[in-house]
Amino acid sequence: MNARAILATLCALCLSSCFLAAAQERKQDPKTVASSRDQETSAEATDADGATPAAAPSPKPTPRSIEAAERIEGEKRFRTNCGRCHQPPHKFPPRVMATAIRHMRVRANITDEDQRLILKYMTQ
Amino acid sequence: MNHKFRFAILLTAILASSSFQRPIHAQSPIEAPQETDQSENEKPVPIFTGSAGFISDVTGGSPDIHPIFSGILLIPIGDRWLIETRESFEDDMVQEPGRPGFHGPLQKEVDYAQLDFIANPYLTVTVGRFLTPFGIYNERLYPVWIRNLQSDPLILPIGTGPSNASTGAMLRGGFAANPAVTINYAVYFSALSTVTPVDSERTAGARAGLFFPKARLEIGGSFQHRLQDERSNLYGAHVIWQPLALPLDIRAEVARSQRGSGYWIEPAYRLTQLPFWRNEMRRTQIVARVQQFFTGELPSDDLPPVSTQEVEGGLNYYFLDGLKATANYGRQFSQAGNANIWTFGVTYRFLVPLGRTGSQQ
Repeated sequence: MNARAILATLCALCLSSCFLAAAQERKQDPKTVASSRDQETSAEATDADGATPAAAPSPKPTPRSIEAAERIEGEKRFRTNCGRCHQPPHKFPPRVMATAIRHMRVRANITDEDQRLILKYMTQ
Repeated sequence: MNHKFRFAILLTAILASSSFQRPIHAQSPIEAPQETDQSENEKPVPIFTGSAGFISDVTGGSPDIHPIFSGILLIPIGDRWLIETRESFEDDMVQEPGRPGFHGPLQKEVDYAQLDFIANPYLTVTVGRFLTPFGIYNERLYPVWIRNLQSDPLILPIGTGPSNASTGAMLRGGFAANPAVTINYAVYFSALSTVTPVDSERTAGARAGLFFPKARLEIGGSFQHRLQDERSNLYGAHVIWQPLALPLDIRAEVARSQRGSGYWIEPAYRLTQLPFWRNEMRRTQIVARVQQFFTGELPSDDLPPVSTQEVEGGLNYYFLDGLKATANYGRQFSQAGNANIWTFGVTYRFLVPLGRTGSQQ
C-alpha cells in the first residue's frame, strides 16, 4: 500500500467519525432522547425507599426518578465497561474517581456519557 | 515528511478544530442541567497509581525471578486536559554460572508520557509518547494486575514497536452510534526515536472497534503502515466477549505482518457459580490460553525466532480487587525444542491521591 492509500484511509476514518458524530447529534433532539431514555431505564428503576417512581409511564420525570434511573444505568455501565478489561474496583473517593475515569476515558475509549454515569454511580 | 502527510495532518486539524466549538457534554441524553457545572466535590485531583508484581517462572528448567514496578502519575488540568505518564522498572534475574543467587540488569522504560485534550464527546487529541493502539493487549490488558496470565502473548511485539510505544500524535474517541452500538477509534502517527528509554518506530496506523453493550461483545481491527525499513503493512483483529449467562471472559487477538503472524485465545472463568466454598470460589478464576506464532519472511529481534505453539492454564486468586496471587503451567512446542513453563506470582495495584479527595455523597 502506498502513501496515497494510507492518506485516503486516514482521511476516510476522520471524515466518517465526524459524519457519524454529526448524524448522532442531529438525531438526538433533547425531547425525544429524554423520553426514549426514560422509557428505557424506567423498567429497571427502583427507588431506595422501595417505590418505583420511574416505573410508571410519567410524562414529567421527577428529579428523584432521574436520579434513580441514572444510578442504575451508571452501575450497569460500570460493570459492562470496566469489567471488559479488569476486575471492577471498589469505590474510590469522588475526586480520585473523577481522575481515574478521565484516565479510563482516554485509555479504554469509553464514551462521554458512560464517563458521566459511571462517575455518578461510583461517587454516590 | 512529504506534502501528502502534511495535508493529512492539516485536514485532521481542521476537522478537529471544527468540533471544538461543541460543548463537551453535548450528546449526553439524560444529563441534568445542573451537571454542566462540575461540583467542587467531584473536581479531579492528581493521583499516583500503578502496580507492583513479583513473578517467578521456570522455563525449561531455568528459573527466573521477575520483580516489576509500574508507577502512573495522572494530573488533570481543568475540565478537559490530562497529563498521564507511566514508568516501569523491572528486573529479569537469572542464575549465572559461578555466582550465587539471581542477577540481572534493572530495565527502565517510559511506557507513556502524554498530554490528552478531550476536545468534545467524540474526539480526544493526544500528543507525546503513548502506547501503540494496535490490538487491545498492549493498551488495555498489559499491567500485571490486569492480565490473566503473566506471560506476554507471543504476537505482542507485532505492531507495538520496540518498546510497545509510539512518539507523536493520536486522535481517538468513543461514542454511541445508537443505544445498541458504541464505536471506538484511534488514529496515530509516530516518529522514529532511537533514544533509550523512549525509543519508537516511524509508523502510521489506526484501530477501530464496535462494542455491543447488550451482548457485551467487542470486535475490532487494527492497521499499521511502517514508514521505515521495508515499509510493510501490519493487520490485526481483536474480540472480547463476556456472555451474560456465565462469569466468563473470552479474549482473542490475531495479528499478521511480514515479520510474523499468529493468534491467541484466552478464556477466563470465575468460579462464582459453584455451590460450595462460595467465599473462596468467587475469588478464584481459572484461565487458559492457546496461541500460535508463525515466522514471517523477515527476521525480528522481538518475536520468537522459530514458529511456536503454546498452551497455558492457570489459576488466579483475588484476595482483594487489587491484590492477586497467580499460578500457571504452560507447554511450549517449537522447532527449537519443547519446554514446560511454570509461573507463580503476586501482583498488587495501588492508588495514592495527591490532594484532597472529597467525600461520598
